[in-house]
Amino acid sequence: MKNRAKPETLRTMKKIEPYIWLLPSILMMGCMIMIPIFNVFRASVTEISKVGVYKEFNGFANYISVFKKQTFWHTLQNTVVWTIVVVGLSTLIGFILALVLNVEFHGRKLVRAVIVFPWATALIIQSVVWKYIINADYGALNALLYNLGIIDHYVNWTATPGAFFAWECFVGIFVTVPFVTFCVLSGLQSIDASLYEACKVDGASFWAQLFKVTVPLVMPSLTVSTVLNIIYVFNSFPIVWTISKGDPADQTHTLVTYLYDLSFSNGKFGEAAAVSVIGFLILAACASVYMILSLRAEQED
Amino acid sequence: MLLVLTMVLALAACGGSGKTTETQAPAAAGTEAAPADAGSEKVTLDVIISQYGNYTQAWWTDFEQNFEAANKDIDLNIEIVSWNDIYSIVTTRISNNDQPDILNISGFADYVADDLLMPATEYTSEALQANFIDSFWASNEMDGTVWALPILASCRALFVNTELLNGAGITAAPTTWEEVVTACDAIKATYGDTVVPWGLDISTDEGQAAFAYYTWNFGGGFVDANGDWALNSAENVQAVEFIKSMIDGGYCNAAPYTDTRYPLQDAFSAGTLAMMIGPMNMVSSTSTVKYEAVSIPGNGVGLGVCDQLMVFKDPAVKEQDPARTAAISKFFDAFYECETYSDYMVYEGFLPATKDASDNLAKNAEKYTVGGDSGATGSSEYFATFCAVLPTCSFYPMQKAEWMDVRNGVIDVEQQVCQGLISAQDALDALQAEVVG
Repeated sequence: MKNRAKPETLRTMKKIEPYIWLLPSILMMGCMIMIPIFNVFRASVTEISKVGVYKEFNGFANYISVFKKQTFWHTLQNTVVWTIVVVGLSTLIGFILALVLNVEFHGRKLVRAVIVFPWATALIIQSVVWKYIINADYGALNALLYNLGIIDHYVNWTATPGAFFAWECFVGIFVTVPFVTFCVLSGLQSIDASLYEACKVDGASFWAQLFKVTVPLVMPSLTVSTVLNIIYVFNSFPIVWTISKGDPADQTHTLVTYLYDLSFSNGKFGEAAAVSVIGFLILAACASVYMILSLRAEQED
Repeated sequence: MLLVLTMVLALAACGGSGKTTETQAPAAAGTEAAPADAGSEKVTLDVIISQYGNYTQAWWTDFEQNFEAANKDIDLNIEIVSWNDIYSIVTTRISNNDQPDILNISGFADYVADDLLMPATEYTSEALQANFIDSFWASNEMDGTVWALPILASCRALFVNTELLNGAGITAAPTTWEEVVTACDAIKATYGDTVVPWGLDISTDEGQAAFAYYTWNFGGGFVDANGDWALNSAENVQAVEFIKSMIDGGYCNAAPYTDTRYPLQDAFSAGTLAMMIGPMNMVSSTSTVKYEAVSIPGNGVGLGVCDQLMVFKDPAVKEQDPARTAAISKFFDAFYECETYSDYMVYEGFLPATKDASDNLAKNAEKYTVGGDSGATGSSEYFATFCAVLPTCSFYPMQKAEWMDVRNGVIDVEQQVCQGLISAQDALDALQAEVVG
């Protein structure tokens, strides 16, 4: 006779089953995300010596000394500019590129492949290469322009902190555009061609077609790419760190490079943890706005 | 953002747990297996060595094998770490209570402040102590106790490309700051954009070295005659203003805020940079540039750099285990043994910190080979010259507790002043107030 499980045990098994499957990822998230987050919060309210010895609970002293620093406020401002400029411009450029790439033309596949390059290369390598391209003394950009006769002497492309930061934003945009392009492109390809035929029949202008049909229909892909990009770009470390390390005079930091500099160059671990928590709260606020908006949209549907 | 910190912490945690069990294993075995004879118990020593060149690993692998063959009861665990990462690695290990037994790094005052180190006299024989060049041994003293051993020394000089200077009509290397400016003007007039006259690094990498070169040779420095911080002296203000004038005059590399010494050394070796202050081994061995190394202009004070080896207390026990201390002594006796140590100095191209190796290398440096496949040997003349120069060098005031803040502070000052954000006087006054107040 065969062993048969009782129906009740089967039912409880069914109920538990999903959680068993989820267990590894829950454990992973607990170990790799929750515990470190807890540690950073703890570090931010602890006095830590320069070489990393935890001393004692010191309340909000780390936060207060961070808020007193002018560099912190400048860094916060940089971070906002960095996030808005890089995400904004790469979304715009990526969207236009996607529109172009959605049109049938010879060599379209090749162009699509080329556009992936900046994205497919490791960020750190992109940053190092760009650092050397723009170097005034031995950079490729000056050599190229000089040999083409466009400039008659070498230009210092990074004469001011502002110029440095602008280049960093440029590199940020350069590596972010492909992601937006492909997100939008996938959205564009799912639009039913009959809608455009209807536009033609109705005699809609190019702009009307763009804003009444294309934009609303790729909106979901655009939202996803924008939200993801805000998180990626806000947290992006390699570009700024490789190109300027936040220098000259700490003028080109974003929050992430600033906290790295605070902890590993200046030995101020408590303050670095405080900056980290501040950044976390800012991102958490942005994420909850997104959650609320998307939940509301779902309800409306 | 959190990810940067979290990942480092998480990685450190993983690395940490593994290492601790390893180091604690012998002790645990000892307490459980009572009748085991003491001779069979293995002591494990975690050693972190900084990476001085591309071939550092190979030399230490050999050392480890020879040492373990000669000392069966000691298990060496040597890790070579690059200068870029060493401070963050050591710090993360300390915050996880997993410090190495022996560490090779630059600067020890912060570790002393947290009471993490063992005094050097506890693990070195009197013979070894007497063998260190006196000023080096004394330079690691803080509050009357010596906390670290000098591992090697190097000194900085002004390097000039003689061909470029001669081509611009300058026949002798500059000896004053006015002559530096004159030479820069001549080079700029002759070669235009193709040659950078003067190499300057005020990056966070080593901007404190620039501060030392200029302030010392304008008559100022980090501390006054009593050894108290004197960062805002008139001479220092003058020196920082001079750095700014070199940038404003267009004599320097375009990005002194981010250019580290290494691309500058490459440019000098390639013949596109005419003058820079750098360490004695800075010119690439494949370079065909004709150059000479002379005293830094002004007062001719060189910068001596002396890195250290230090021993951490075992954080797990109150009373330090004598077996561990004995193993550490053996490690140092083996490393500083004249032949071995001379070999390492030639291998890495640095100057020795012991008396017998200095004497040996001034005569027999040709016996030893330089790291890598070039097959080049050491030069006795070179060691004789530079070992003689070393006593005239000044050192960073590393034994002062505020050193790391001062180091970062003077780099900030240089960058802010050269960017024109603040005057040299105001910036140095503020730093002095911050450090002393």
